[in-house]
Amino acid sequence: MPILTPTAATGARTVPAEMTYVNPANLMPPDEAKAFLADTGLNGPFVADLLSDMLAHERCGAQLYRSLAQRTNNPMLRKQYEHFGTETTEHVEVLENLIDQLGGDPNYVSPAARATTKAGTGLLESTFLLAGSIDLMTQELVMLDAVLVAEAKDHANWGCLAALAEGLPEGDVQDAFTNAVNRVLPQEDEHFGWAAETRCKMISAQATSRAAQVVGEAAETVVSRVKKWLD
Amino acid sequence: MAFNPLEQKGIPVDDQLRSWSELNVEPYDKEAVDPYTRTRVILMNGIEVESIMFSHQFARHTDNLDLKRKLAMGRRVDQQQQKAVNGLNPGDQTPLETTLGYEQVAVDLTAWLARHEPDPQLKMALDFALLEDFDHLYRYANLYELLYGGRAAAITDHLTEVMPGRPTFVEHRHPYDDVRPHYETHTVDPLSRMHVMTIVAGEQQTMNFYMNHGAEWVEPIARGLYAEIAMIEEQHVTHYESLLDPLDSWIANWVFHEYNEVYLYWSMLQNETDKRIKAIWELHLNMEIGQLAVACDAMRHYEGRDPAELLPPSLPETPVTFEPNKDYVRELLAATIDLRTDGIQYVELDELPEDHRYFTYQKTVNAGGAPSEMVIDAARDNGGEYRDETEGAHPIADLRPRTETTS
Repeated sequence: MPILTPTAATGARTVPAEMTYVNPANLMPPDEAKAFLADTGLNGPFVADLLSDMLAHERCGAQLYRSLAQRTNNPMLRKQYEHFGTETTEHVEVLENLIDQLGGDPNYVSPAARATTKAGTGLLESTFLLAGSIDLMTQELVMLDAVLVAEAKDHANWGCLAALAEGLPEGDVQDAFTNAVNRVLPQEDEHFGWAAETRCKMISAQATSRAAQVVGEAAETVVSRVKKWLD
Repeated sequence: MAFNPLEQKGIPVDDQLRSWSELNVEPYDKEAVDPYTRTRVILMNGIEVESIMFSHQFARHTDNLDLKRKLAMGRRVDQQQQKAVNGLNPGDQTPLETTLGYEQVAVDLTAWLARHEPDPQLKMALDFALLEDFDHLYRYANLYELLYGGRAAAITDHLTEVMPGRPTFVEHRHPYDDVRPHYETHTVDPLSRMHVMTIVAGEQQTMNFYMNHGAEWVEPIARGLYAEIAMIEEQHVTHYESLLDPLDSWIANWVFHEYNEVYLYWSMLQNETDKRIKAIWELHLNMEIGQLAVACDAMRHYEGRDPAELLPPSLPETPVTFEPNKDYVRELLAATIDLRTDGIQYVELDELPEDHRYFTYQKTVNAGGAPSEMVIDAARDNGGEYRDETEGAHPIADLRPRTETTS
């Protein structure tokens, strides 16, 4: 089972920064960071940070899909969010295994991963903190926006990793990268493509269809009634 | 035995509202109360106030009706809990006597947390401010004797020594030098997180108390002392809140607040000697378990996260405990009395350059003298300063009394 929330209990480690203090027990030693991917021609510490960043993004993505699947009112979207959520959780596992194969620590949380987690948290919060001032149809779009933004970076991450793998000399390291990319990138193509296409369809439908407006208003009315029953 | 709040049923939040008569609790007898019962009451009042103010802040950052209602409901119950806890303080306990209780909390809570803190940098932060609060107890004790002829030991019962710490007038620092680095939320020990949340709430309540009660005095020396020490409490809140990682989400912070409240009520329950008050801690523990369940449900629903991934599998086995820390404080005094801060670093006084902002700030705020020194001068003029040095002479020769102690 992949780790979706690294904590001290899972063995999370990080590095200090200007305003981050790290308990020595949870410190990623500089020597260990330098040893990562040594003699491969790669900048090991940077790649360690990058993979941690990618992992953080996948973890945030898995949470995003789990959250959206529970909150969308659209059965088609729910099904897709559940499906992509399962695949995204698998991507977490793929990255953890890749890092492990390369001699790294999947529990390492890089400074870049912290920044990505902050962005992911904000993206997720954007789908519910303002729900009271956004109509139901727009809420669905906001959720889809979050998916699109998340998948855009995700897709770019894996595309970048694919390019990196291509430039590596043949051997175990290249194989590890390539296997991970081959497993994940086609799915990322699908996730990103689906998000862009579905968002466009939803926007077009609402922009051009009087029926969508009527359906939206009716949905609002129904939900309003249900809420009143529950109050 | 391991106690996992997530596996407990507790009291559902909807069943937690109480009547006015239930909230209008019978206060403890200030002459008979165990001093550490008083400190438990003071601490848990501060914990409830922090919970309420956090909930208000969260509510101001969302218009999600479901979340706002859940926050409002939990906050209403927190407010009732706060009334039931703070109402235990008796009306014949003067604000100055309550202040002595606050400073006893500050000393013995901070020292206990420091002694049990696994992270050396966080322990350093606790140790640093401990010596400052320790000094406040001495200053207020002298005000108490000066104004009322009272002995602080009547409040502290000799469980906490009363003598100078890092002198209050040297504690005034430029605001930049109160900002500290924070722990990292993924890697922090859950116990450390709760220690920091607890001390932030405690110091914040002390700051609020002095902010509100400082103007109730007629005597200029009392007004001055409260104003001066209130400013140090502002420094301490700045100091301690810096230790929290700002990466955590609103909902995660909500869950952490509730979890910490569970831990603290459970802790108070383990140590309480007053059966009637113990029953309040037990009731509030079960209420907090119910409130934690609501926050955890919100985390599952809105963040797609299982709180069990984030929280420890059980509460720490050791309850937060009020007990004497005399040897610890004395050792700290001997070792770190001259410690100051320079930016985010702790440094010895003689390491600060002459033109450091510390000295400029000192010159500005202490121009015309510091009330914390005036109160001791006045006490000396009035027959001698008040101390309660139960373990012998002060470990710092320069801080030994100029006249005989009068404990």
